Amino acid sequence: MRRFSLLAALLLAVFPALAATDTAAIKRGEYLARAGDCIACHARPGTTSMSGGRGFETPVGMIYATNITPDKQTGIGLYSYAEFAKAVRAGIRRDGAPLYPAMPYPSYARISEADMQDLYAYFMQGIPAVRQENRKVDIPWPFSMRWPLHLWIRAFAPKPQAYVADPGQDARWNRGAYLVQGLAHCGACHTPRGIAYQEKALTEKDGRDFLAGASVDGWFANSLRNDGIAGVTPLRKDGSSSGRSWTQDDFIVFLKTGRNNHSAAFGAMVDVVEHSMQYLRTDDVEAIAYYLSTFNGGRAASPATVTAPVASATAAKTQTSTADLAAGLYRSAGAVSYMEHCAACHRKDGEGVERIFPALTSSQSVLNRSADALIRIVLQGGRMPVTQHDQIALAMPALATLSDQEIADVLSFVRSSWGNQAPQVRVSDVSRVRKTLVPAAKP
Amino acid sequence: MKQYTKMMSAMAMLFWFASSALSPASAAALLGPGDRMIPDNEQGKIIRQGQRLLSDTRRLLPQYVGAEMNCTSCHLSQGKLAFSSPFVGLSQKYPSYNPRAGRDVTLTERINGCMLRSMNGKKLAPDSAEMRAMLAYINWLSADYPAGKKVEGAGIGTINKNLKPDSVHGKLVYQRACAVCHGDEGQGLQRKGEMVFPPLWGEHSFNIGAGMARTYTAAAWVKQNMPLAAGLNAPLGQGKVLTDQEALDVAEYFTHQPRPDFPGKENDWPKGGKPADARY
Repeated sequence: MRRFSLLAALLLAVFPALAATDTAAIKRGEYLARAGDCIACHARPGTTSMSGGRGFETPVGMIYATNITPDKQTGIGLYSYAEFAKAVRAGIRRDGAPLYPAMPYPSYARISEADMQDLYAYFMQGIPAVRQENRKVDIPWPFSMRWPLHLWIRAFAPKPQAYVADPGQDARWNRGAYLVQGLAHCGACHTPRGIAYQEKALTEKDGRDFLAGASVDGWFANSLRNDGIAGVTPLRKDGSSSGRSWTQDDFIVFLKTGRNNHSAAFGAMVDVVEHSMQYLRTDDVEAIAYYLSTFNGGRAASPATVTAPVASATAAKTQTSTADLAAGLYRSAGAVSYMEHCAACHRKDGEGVERIFPALTSSQSVLNRSADALIRIVLQGGRMPVTQHDQIALAMPALATLSDQEIADVLSFVRSSWGNQAPQVRVSDVSRVRKTLVPAAKP
Repeated sequence: MKQYTKMMSAMAMLFWFASSALSPASAAALLGPGDRMIPDNEQGKIIRQGQRLLSDTRRLLPQYVGAEMNCTSCHLSQGKLAFSSPFVGLSQKYPSYNPRAGRDVTLTERINGCMLRSMNGKKLAPDSAEMRAMLAYINWLSADYPAGKKVEGAGIGTINKNLKPDSVHGKLVYQRACAVCHGDEGQGLQRKGEMVFPPLWGEHSFNIGAGMARTYTAAAWVKQNMPLAAGLNAPLGQGKVLTDQEALDVAEYFTHQPRPDFPGKENDWPKGGKPADARY
């Protein structure tokens, strides 16, 4: 009896505290899982259970995201903390098999010990276990062998080591660097990859390829470097932008709501905003913007976008283009088509309408050397993210009934008007992109 | 037999809806010829001028337009969009009996009806260069539609007239689906001194003589055409997201907000037949 009451007292003393800690850890872990955007890959589109099954096309075949719910048979319910951390940071499964680098473990390697503990608490106790067998990869032999991935990991994945703060920078910068390089894994899309699919740079210290923009999944992930077009401007006391760049506030609003006064997320970035960025605390988004803003003028070796002309020439050209259209002087077939199919929303001055229709001027997406993403959005259309802030997903219609010639003409017009100076779009570019899309996009 | 035909056409409609929902891009987006077909000659210049006057009306004809509206605020996509009362085919339709006037009216008269009502402005002289240019554009759009050839998508479609409008619910629909562009107070949106989205009520909107001021007319148009940028369907991502009831409720709400009077309203429907939703 005495023994029992002692035990009860002990339990009472320990348990409430334990429960409180767990709840807080689970809550923190949930936030971190959102920052890591785990759900974007591990849940099938339109669902919220991270029981896997979503397919990803890789150069060697289809792979499928796995069940990461705490189910003991089909999920990760049997993972110890150490096994969980090893999978997330080093890409090694509980059974010792290496993971495909579609899982961004080179980025997750930077996650701190405390955050990893919270993530573990969330994945073990914060989500319901779902029994769903993992789908086998559809990759033919010899690529289906996983052992070469060990070599890949050794060659390209960083040694798992939590982010080390740069003592030369302030706390905000370091928080931004931690998120960008780590959980938010921005580089997975925005940093160009080498021939072995490795990201060419994992931190700003690795050189100018870091976040320099890259083709991904038929879209183009813009450069996030402060390159004077759509990068984040250096911090200014009055919060203004220099010339054509977004201000930090523009960038923050973009991440939180998927749109700002200049532009809107489309393509793969829609998922990132919907599942992840909109839920980040404002101070974290500010830290991300601040960190990115400090890549002062560090352009990539092969810039993704076309250098903007000097401001005065741009202003003159902008006025000319707009005045021509307003006066009914449509000087090319592209201009005729622009007025017929685009101007109702994007307007004669190409500036669209704040937060409703994206601007085509000073737009990195318009100025990228590769026009593939532009062609794709004309053919397929797209939707802005739905967020807590904006419940209406404004859409760009699919204009696939336009011919390849007409799309090439109109995009060439857009890329050479209002001060834009990007290469012409060829008919063959449009045909090539159209072939990669679903049959519905045929003219 | 009649039943059977009805059922078949209902099935055809269903199929059409389903297929257009599944592959919105596969449907022909616009009626009439593309703008690239405008001939490169003097006549082409007049056609183009007519198109500009109809699309940029407020800016190009300020002395004739009282409202912050363009003709293409309602006749979307330069008058080429099905069910937004397209211009395509109108040349053969007029002269046509107009119950509101109680007689046959010409296309010129019909355009001037819009100038007085929807545009809350003044008539253009029938033989003015502006009127002739507008007619030239509409004639060019209508060239492939000889008398008797049906325009698929003529007019604005229909709405169930047995439904009863609910203005209180309409206000909620407005705030949810319309206010982002037309503004909380129906004021529309101006950018750099130019109208982007027209005001739906107030002194700069269409007057009570306009068709759009009538609940069921507005509801049918709204159902087909609003909101824009709502879906991936070409050309504007327009319409087909509100139910008949929602379209009717929101139409009741915005049509009955304060708006300019229409001088001369007492002359309308001289031979009777005034519709139930007429405003006077």
